[in-house]
Amino acid sequence: MSAPKNNARYASRRRGNFIATVLSVGAACFGLTWLLLILTVLVVKGVGGLSPSVFSEMTPPPGGEGGLLNPIMGSLIMTIMAVLIGTPLGIMAGTYMAEYGRYSKLTMIVRFINDILLSAPSIVIGLFVYELMVATMGHFSAWAGAVALAIIVIPVVVRTTEDMLLLVPNTLREASAALGLPQWLVIRHVAYRAARAGITTGVLLAVARITGETAPLLFTALNNQFFSWDLNAPMASLPVVIFQFALSPYEDWQQLAWTGALLVTAAVLALSILARMLASKRVPS
Amino acid sequence: MNLAIHTDVKERAASATAPATIEEKVSVRRLNFYYGAFRALADINVNLFENTVTAFIGPSGCGKSTLLRILNRIYDLYPNQRAEGEVILDGENILRPGQDLNLLRAKVGMVFQKPTPFPMTIYENVAFGVRLYENVSKAELDIRVEDALRRGALWDEVKDKLDASGLSLSGGQQQRLCIARTVAIKPEVILLDEPCSALDPISTAKIEELIDVLKRDYTIAIVTHNMQQAARTSDFTAFMYLGELIEYGDTTQIFTNPKLERTQDYITGRFG
Repeated sequence: MSAPKNNARYASRRRGNFIATVLSVGAACFGLTWLLLILTVLVVKGVGGLSPSVFSEMTPPPGGEGGLLNPIMGSLIMTIMAVLIGTPLGIMAGTYMAEYGRYSKLTMIVRFINDILLSAPSIVIGLFVYELMVATMGHFSAWAGAVALAIIVIPVVVRTTEDMLLLVPNTLREASAALGLPQWLVIRHVAYRAARAGITTGVLLAVARITGETAPLLFTALNNQFFSWDLNAPMASLPVVIFQFALSPYEDWQQLAWTGALLVTAAVLALSILARMLASKRVPS
Repeated sequence: MNLAIHTDVKERAASATAPATIEEKVSVRRLNFYYGAFRALADINVNLFENTVTAFIGPSGCGKSTLLRILNRIYDLYPNQRAEGEVILDGENILRPGQDLNLLRAKVGMVFQKPTPFPMTIYENVAFGVRLYENVSKAELDIRVEDALRRGALWDEVKDKLDASGLSLSGGQQQRLCIARTVAIKPEVILLDEPCSALDPISTAKIEELIDVLKRDYTIAIVTHNMQQAARTSDFTAFMYLGELIEYGDTTQIFTNPKLERTQDYITGRFG
């Protein structure tokens, strides 16, 4: 490369570059600082409360001995149910949009509505399910909680499924069709296979998203002092217990809230890392 | 290799002197094709003969790939594309509304410009299509896969790693895998849409040799930008320009003694 002819212009360009770099690094550090602070406080305050009893005992009355077994199990049960309800629906809708109805008007409408649902405040979803299920059934229930969470899962899965399937090159679809494959087999054996890592990532991110949701559960599953398998009864969950205990005046409850928050954060972090790993392994096609 | 080319030329000369003995496999009659309102092909008439290779040449955008994509109706995947006229395959018009597209495509295989291995193992890439149409035992399937990979001139390179991903192969190998995959389901016509444009000269030579072998059993149509490739591999050549078929005839004649000036200009590279 030859030396720049106009040194003043070159210097000003370098200065501009320097300023932009400093600003970008500064912004990144600003964001990371808060995240780091939150994580540090969580670990410092939460780790102290970690003990086997957290995983083996029920939430205690104020001043009593106890753990977080019932909210942990409740969160697990409702998350799994929400995923079982939301994932098939989301994948099927996304498949319709990317494969069968790619050029149809319905797809455009669904995509638009889905985007709205994607950013809908979760408290609205909680109130909606309250009206739909809790008010009509007359009581709070784990079912209602799972449905509320599923409604949050669906748009995330629809979006990632559609996006990932659209990333599958059309040449691959043409090549499979050219072998005489009917469309449903092309989708099942070729498109899904090529998009599998991406779709799995989407589901994991949806799980991470609902793991920390409090508002929709407050209106639906409420809380339960005891462990319960009954899906027609209120069920405890980590976010709601954290919400309740953190606001309480009792120190032992507050400690459990910190521990619960640490557990939720660790779970979300683990899911995100897993999703990252899967996404980076995505098959190039 | 030189020797092979020489005998091939002789064969071709022989077939050229007696075109009446070869059977018509595909017959395109007054074919028009539209992308929306744009007419991409205008009144095309052309034949593909059994056990011969027909090359389609012409500048980019002249409609040669479009023509090929009609022969297995792959264009049907997209809205706003439609064909008018007739394409007769074994006496039946494949453009008629009731045509079963999957059966048609099993009979008219296609290999694309870019290698398109499926995201599965090498074995599965080939076995997949076979299982779709035939109920074969595992042992039989093994034989079919081996046979197809041999026909694709790939067997010796992959026989020890059939369980590796099809995507792990080199570009040239991937393209031969695609040819093997197409051959495995026993089509009658094979369409090659610029099969070598993404490949290096060695892989290209391999695929050209392969085309020579394959035409013993199949009817082949090839679209190519490479004039030498058309001259080397084909028995008949069709020169297309702006959606029209300008000249069609015996390859030797087209390349040595074209009837039209435009053809002459194109094959000599004087065409802009």
